[in-house]
Amino acid sequence: MADAASGSVDRSVQVKLVLLGEAAVGKSSVVLRFVSNEFQANKEPTIGAAFLTQKCRLEDRVLRYEIWDTAGQERFHSLAPMYYRNAQAAVVVYDVTKATSLEKAKSWVKELQRQANPNIVIALAGNKVDLVQTSAMSSGSTPSSESEDEADDATATPGESPSVSGGEPESLRQVPREEAQAYATEAGLLFFETSAKSGEGIVEIFTEIAKKIPIEHILASTRGGAGRSGGAGGRAGGAREDVNLEEQQSKKDGCNC
Amino acid sequence: MGIVQALLSVFLDDGDKLRCINAGRLRITFLLRSPLYYVCASSWGEPESVTRSHLEYLHLQILSIVTASQLRRIFERRTNFDLRRLLDGSEPFLFSLLGRMELDLAMATSSLNCLQLDQSLRVRIAEALVPTSKMKDTLYIILVARGQVITLVRPKKHSIHPADIHILVNTVYSPSIVNSPASASWIPVCLPKFNPAGFVNAYITFLHRPDADQKYYQRTTPENNESADTTGASHVAENSQGATSRHTTRLVEDSGIGLVCISGGGEFETVRAWCDIVTQKLNDDGSLDALARAVDSGKTSYFASQLGIPGLRHFVYKSRSHVQITLPAFEEPYDTLDAKRRIVTLYQTVHDAIHAKSGQTGNLKLQCIRTEKEIVMGWITQPFELYVVLSPRLPKAAVINAANAVTRWVKKEEGQLFLRDAPVF
Repeated sequence: MADAASGSVDRSVQVKLVLLGEAAVGKSSVVLRFVSNEFQANKEPTIGAAFLTQKCRLEDRVLRYEIWDTAGQERFHSLAPMYYRNAQAAVVVYDVTKATSLEKAKSWVKELQRQANPNIVIALAGNKVDLVQTSAMSSGSTPSSESEDEADDATATPGESPSVSGGEPESLRQVPREEAQAYATEAGLLFFETSAKSGEGIVEIFTEIAKKIPIEHILASTRGGAGRSGGAGGRAGGAREDVNLEEQQSKKDGCNC
Repeated sequence: MGIVQALLSVFLDDGDKLRCINAGRLRITFLLRSPLYYVCASSWGEPESVTRSHLEYLHLQILSIVTASQLRRIFERRTNFDLRRLLDGSEPFLFSLLGRMELDLAMATSSLNCLQLDQSLRVRIAEALVPTSKMKDTLYIILVARGQVITLVRPKKHSIHPADIHILVNTVYSPSIVNSPASASWIPVCLPKFNPAGFVNAYITFLHRPDADQKYYQRTTPENNESADTTGASHVAENSQGATSRHTTRLVEDSGIGLVCISGGGEFETVRAWCDIVTQKLNDDGSLDALARAVDSGKTSYFASQLGIPGLRHFVYKSRSHVQITLPAFEEPYDTLDAKRRIVTLYQTVHDAIHAKSGQTGNLKLQCIRTEKEIVMGWITQPFELYVVLSPRLPKAAVINAANAVTRWVKKEEGQLFLRDAPVF
């Protein structure tokens, strides 16, 4: 399983990953859960893009995820290519309680498949699954905390909280698992239902991506300094690699990973 | 909203501009920045020029999010466009600006309030921040703490307008950025005084963060006596969330040290690599530590009582050549929010008078207000402006003496109070 790297690291592989999806589906919360194992209610919307890193151990390899958490607001859409251009992986997030967010996710997937790196590994994540689980934990079933969850949504995108409110939690679901799964299979994506709030499915996404990433290919291309999309940028990146890794190691005690 | 628009257009038809409406204690102020109209209703009693400048800052903050040319294009195409769609997610910037403007005397005096710091440390830090030739599109590099500028490195050919710095600092310290768990943010921002038509990129990273629990305090603002600014655009309804969200806005008063790198280009990786190296350098030579210690121990601010001037309670000194102010931290009896607001309003009133901002005839050199609780005096000369708050029983001669003593003290401490000779590249 993915785990924070500890002790000596011989070779760590950098994986650039980008998060895309409609505003307020929980992209930042997914990353925060993965990077610091935390959850913040009432998070402020991301502006532009936020950069985070996390190490992840897979068998004998250490992967260093360099994560671009992008803003979902429409006005930032035109900036997205800057982030996915050199990405080796993408997590496209939608909200299981909002059908339109899956449509947006599909359009992101289409854009990635058309314009991103052809080998990019794409995962589809249906987030906020805690809102539609009746049996899970007390948090999902008591009416008071349920309204709290809705309040979270309301802060992120005013006036866009799920139209179906009250009643059985299951009725909040607008995207059936099977439908999303079928789409993901058809489009060749990894698929997970996740909850950044409870942590469900989060580590799994990044682990499965790690398994699917052509690591040898990345290693070869960064070593050689060629064969990488981005031309000059790629070469500059290769030159800096050592510096970054050392820094990361010296900083490690201070940060959460 | 309909009435506001009708009123404005009646005046526009006559080639005139509606500035404000006085209704008893309430004043409704209008600012027209086509295609947007700004309206503010306030019963706080501040001069009209102050309200207008607040609305102007609000306009600049909006421009930092959507450029002037974007705005123009959108409203040319669709006159009934709902601007909220474009500002979606940026509300925290506006709320934190509203909170900031109320008490920020640097904004009120169109100047900069730099962090008080040992001169040699400031110089050492600034030198580390001079970009290499690889950073070819770099515009400004700014180091901030406690919402104040520590140093600012800029190209020879561009100076930076104080208003742009205020907008930038407000952006950096708004909850969307400062509370972000990310190691860095990369955001498009428009600096309206630099170029209202285009975006630059801001790389923002916090080098040193204090404990999360101490990081912010909840603002509690009494509702009754507050000037309620509302953003109105020609076809934008006022933000109905404004009133409630404002009370939960967190004002950050932390010792987080933020490095901001403004770049005209999109080379994030180059900027990040450079910022990492700079951070390492500041760490290695101990200057980051020294800076963090100074900030944490409160050495970066002072109290009026430390000057030992009889009757002196507070002051604001603006060096006109540096376009910077220095002021002590508020202390008794001005340490409550209401008292601060009252004193800031008095400062604004005196500032308004000596600058003849509300159409007063003739420029005053000196203006003195005596309230039941204090004397507030404003004094403008070639090199400086000085505003002092003194005990109300002080005789006139003592007032003048105190003002002279403050200017002497500032002269003596100038080296650490102001940012001077920051490197250019």
